[in-house]
Amino acid sequence: MKSILKSKEMSIALIIVMLSIVLSFISPVFFTFENITDILKGNAVLGILAIGMTLVIITGGIDVSVAAVTTAVIVILGKILVFLPDSPISIVLMFIIAPLIGVILGALNGMLVSKIQIPAIVVTLGTMSMINGIILYITNGQYLNSTSFPKIFVKFANFEIFGISILIILFALISIGAWYLLKYTVIGREVLAIGGNKESSIRAGINFDKVQIFVYGFMGLLAGVAAIAQLSYTKAVDPNGLLGFEMQVIAAVVLGGANIMGGRGTIIGTFLGVLLLGIMQNGLILAHIDVFWQKVVVGAIILLAVTFDQIQYKRSKDKLAKIEVEA
Amino acid sequence: MNILKGLSKESVLGLIALVLTIGMCIIAPGFLSQQNISNMLFQIPEFGLIALGMMVVIVTGGINLSITYSAALSGVAIAIMQSHGYSILISILVGLVVGLLCGFINGFIVSKIGVSAILVTLGTMTLFEGVILTITKGNSISGFSEAYSLIGNGYYMGLVPLSLLIFVIFAVLTAILMNKSKWGRNVYMLGSNPIATLFSGVNTNKVLMGVYLYSALLAAVASIIMTSRYNMAKVDLGSSYLLQSVSAAVLGGTDIQGGYGKVMGTIYAVIIFQVLSSGLNLLEVPRSIVGIIMGAILILVLILNFVKAKVDEKSQKKAQQETLVA
Amino acid sequence: MSKYILQMNHISKTFPGVKALDNVKLEIEPGEVHALIGENGAGKSTLIKILAGIYDADPGAEFYFEGREADIKKPIDATLKGISIIYQDLSLFPNLSVAENIFIGRDSNSNSLKKVNWKHIEEIAESALKELDVQIDLNLPVEKLSIAQQQLIEIARALAFEAKLIVMDEPTSSLSAGEVEKLYKVINNLKQKGISIIFVSHKLKELFTVSDRFTVLRDGKYVGTYESKELNEDKLINLMVGRQVLYEKNKGGIQIGQTVFEVKCLSKEGNFKDISFELKQGEVIGITGLMGSGRTELAQAIFGINTPVTGEIKINGESVTIKSSEDAVKKGIAYIPESRKTQGLILEQSIINNISLPVLKTLRNAFGLISRKKEVDLANHYIKTLDVRPALPNLKTGKMSGGNQQKVVIGKWLSTKPKLLIIDEPTNGIDIGAKTEIHKLLRKLASEGMGVIVISSELPEVLAVSDRIIVMRHGRIAGELAIEEATQENIMNYALLGSKVSKENKNQGKGKVIVESGVSM
Repeated sequence: MKSILKSKEMSIALIIVMLSIVLSFISPVFFTFENITDILKGNAVLGILAIGMTLVIITGGIDVSVAAVTTAVIVILGKILVFLPDSPISIVLMFIIAPLIGVILGALNGMLVSKIQIPAIVVTLGTMSMINGIILYITNGQYLNSTSFPKIFVKFANFEIFGISILIILFALISIGAWYLLKYTVIGREVLAIGGNKESSIRAGINFDKVQIFVYGFMGLLAGVAAIAQLSYTKAVDPNGLLGFEMQVIAAVVLGGANIMGGRGTIIGTFLGVLLLGIMQNGLILAHIDVFWQKVVVGAIILLAVTFDQIQYKRSKDKLAKIEVEA
Repeated sequence: MNILKGLSKESVLGLIALVLTIGMCIIAPGFLSQQNISNMLFQIPEFGLIALGMMVVIVTGGINLSITYSAALSGVAIAIMQSHGYSILISILVGLVVGLLCGFINGFIVSKIGVSAILVTLGTMTLFEGVILTITKGNSISGFSEAYSLIGNGYYMGLVPLSLLIFVIFAVLTAILMNKSKWGRNVYMLGSNPIATLFSGVNTNKVLMGVYLYSALLAAVASIIMTSRYNMAKVDLGSSYLLQSVSAAVLGGTDIQGGYGKVMGTIYAVIIFQVLSSGLNLLEVPRSIVGIIMGAILILVLILNFVKAKVDEKSQKKAQQETLVA
Repeated sequence: MSKYILQMNHISKTFPGVKALDNVKLEIEPGEVHALIGENGAGKSTLIKILAGIYDADPGAEFYFEGREADIKKPIDATLKGISIIYQDLSLFPNLSVAENIFIGRDSNSNSLKKVNWKHIEEIAESALKELDVQIDLNLPVEKLSIAQQQLIEIARALAFEAKLIVMDEPTSSLSAGEVEKLYKVINNLKQKGISIIFVSHKLKELFTVSDRFTVLRDGKYVGTYESKELNEDKLINLMVGRQVLYEKNKGGIQIGQTVFEVKCLSKEGNFKDISFELKQGEVIGITGLMGSGRTELAQAIFGINTPVTGEIKINGESVTIKSSEDAVKKGIAYIPESRKTQGLILEQSIINNISLPVLKTLRNAFGLISRKKEVDLANHYIKTLDVRPALPNLKTGKMSGGNQQKVVIGKWLSTKPKLLIIDEPTNGIDIGAKTEIHKLLRKLASEGMGVIVISSELPEVLAVSDRIIVMRHGRIAGELAIEEATQENIMNYALLGSKVSKENKNQGKGKVIVESGVSM
């Protein structure tokens, strides 16, 4: 019990609760069903990508190409949707094509990171630059709205169950799936293992390369799903809509307590990290604070979080290093 | 192949830059035109300065994701001072101080608290961007004096772009500092092994702080050139240089894990990027394709490095085995 | 069916430049504790790595496990066959729970999406821990455990894999005396179950306590396999090093001058308390004690790395404040750390860059820039005076042997012309020839007026170089011995019990002039 209270997730949750209490005093709108679902819906894309990024960061890697990959899938979906018939089969096709493209692009990152042993940040910088170039080449940067998409797509995008948007449901399913994967599958445990100690994992017979390719492939898969979510949310293909979004994704994961050096990170933490960012954004709007302050607040919170985390880490290490001195 | 073996990484890059330039002269129409050459010479300084600022940090095993936003913040500070009628000198001074303050924040959290550079600069990147947005409301600020615009657009003795001269001065300064000063040596040592460096009586915190201050200084100088050239400052001033500068440093041979990186290599890489982008532009290759090629080059170079390292390892093994037999 | 569980014959291993193993053999009987022994560089670890499947042996090797030819290509193959290896640096996952650490590896060949059965994992872990008769919370992450507990987790993992042969590589190197005792009990327990154990160590005393048989390696060659009862420590040393005595004990009786260095009531919470001693000109002080006695923490505090401290430090009678390693160097203190490869040297950098690092300030030319010539001269000076090989100033230090690396570190610190040199485990991982050379050098430096403090856990070494010996225990000075009265026994008694003579052997402890065996802590 004590360890649960002391955990990182708990402290983020506490911050969220306090923030929510303050916000509910500032604005009566905050604690309405609509507002809460709006927050979740508006951050579903961020959340889905952050889940994938959590796995990458647990292995000690990073993927700055996520926004580019997601946009690439959006663009391709946009091109394909125009030709698809107005029937449910189109939605099914969308759910096959988008993740597939994502996995291919993600696995490419994984291959370069594992087989060629290029540091992840460099690999993904390179692929990001290439993918962004290709997107620009194909679209010329032009915005494409959904008027030419099959009507079923718009129906799908607006679909709700008990007033909960399909986007939130997607985010929830992905979160639960990833949580299950990390906790209950062999590959999930291997992800945690290679992040914990590379040398030990090789001695224990874990296929290091395979796990890395899996993690980047999974990131790609979720980028594909995030593309569907983003397309549904904006109902348009905006080649520039996610520019720089990767940093926000990483920020959410870091806020959620994952350690950039690997080995540490939970789905619940990341979920809370996303929620914290979302509520903050929402709160600033409700409190009528200039939207431009948002980034200042987010930046400051990231710095505070990582600083606090590091200080705690140092303390616990010092404690371990202590010697029993005879009185 | 054997000729290449004796050359350093940097010389090989220099050769590539040379061959590329000659190739572009031949195939790209108008590459040697006065306009193209002056375009290139005016673009290299700002990119080059930021790339050097990035390289210095990467040599310590870190990365500075906030570099372009700290540049933009300096630029905004200068723009505000200028538009309020302060003199060029005071404006620039304020700009430099603002830049150094940004560097100080990074340096403090990285060195004193020990948070990894990527996290700190990710945070400060967002923070600086937010500060700029709050100040500018997303608009661009102009109102620079005529004389100020000379820095980025004028010529020295009517021939050499002033900005290029500034770049050369700072490149030489960086090279001297990195290769010949006590601080520079400590930077390389720290990048190779921070613990052993600390155990050698080096104040590693001070060295790291110096690195982030210097990186911010170069960024601020780049921002002076950029604001002067574009006659305005706004939030995304130079933001496209962020990832390009990492690419240039890595392509230039800087080890992303720290401990190695040369000024000359980075400059060659900047030249390669510039020649490629100008040349391809003249060849009417769409800008988007240029981006693809840049990314491809980065990855290709790293794959080549990997293959070369494997081959070297093998030949070394073979040579040693032969001597053992003999 | 042979009577051996493991048979390795004609094992050779060639690395670029070295023949690490040359026609070595190792035969292990079921249920025996077998010591694999040899000096550093004798080939113990290489042999273990071949057994583990990390290295391939050169062609011609014969390798049988349980009477069948063993086909071990990667580490997990060995584990699955029943050979478990417990490395010195352990193979644990700090972020994972005790239960999972015990279980891990079994699923590595199964479908990636297979469901993890936590109940099964906990059952296996629990029964393995039960077999060892230890109680550790299964859900605790391993990083929260002590090293001794972590080692038990490794042993439990081996049991969970139904290991028939467990290799322990230097298992006692980071354990306290009490923990070592417990480990011996565990080993005996395993032996009763018929499990064979290969015990790799260079600490002779403990080997006699646990081992049934010995296989000795020297310079990559097989020396022989012996029954425990046909050996004694002298004989074993003889087999290991090919000569009788390791080092001669220092005779003492040197001329000492005035006090060069002094600490008074130095304390740091959770590290050490009330440490006071004086170092006179010309003498060498040895500081020793068990793991966790605070000796290294004390040294690093004096060097300004482990700060802040309370108390007083005086150099040449003058009180100084040391807040950082930079301060320490300025005040004339040099510290050669325990871990040469991570703290002492920058392996990626050249001899020149390593030697000049602490004295860059003095190597500047008229423009305030580093003078390459001064640097090269400095490096060459120390390469020559310390006989560093190969004498290539531009060589990366990572490519040198341990002994020569240590000479570079010593050169680096001599270049600062220190008033006080603290050297922590001066000959760790160095071959025997270089060891005596370094001991001689330390004595010479002291006789030339430098204050020298040697910290070591190897008692023969402490006795060979020191004029006075300070024994630490639980962060305090347990005792101080002049070299004339010091013996391995009374040092040990101070280190273990805090008094000079233990009750049982009150009559022992008379000074022996020659140190026969290599007890180390």
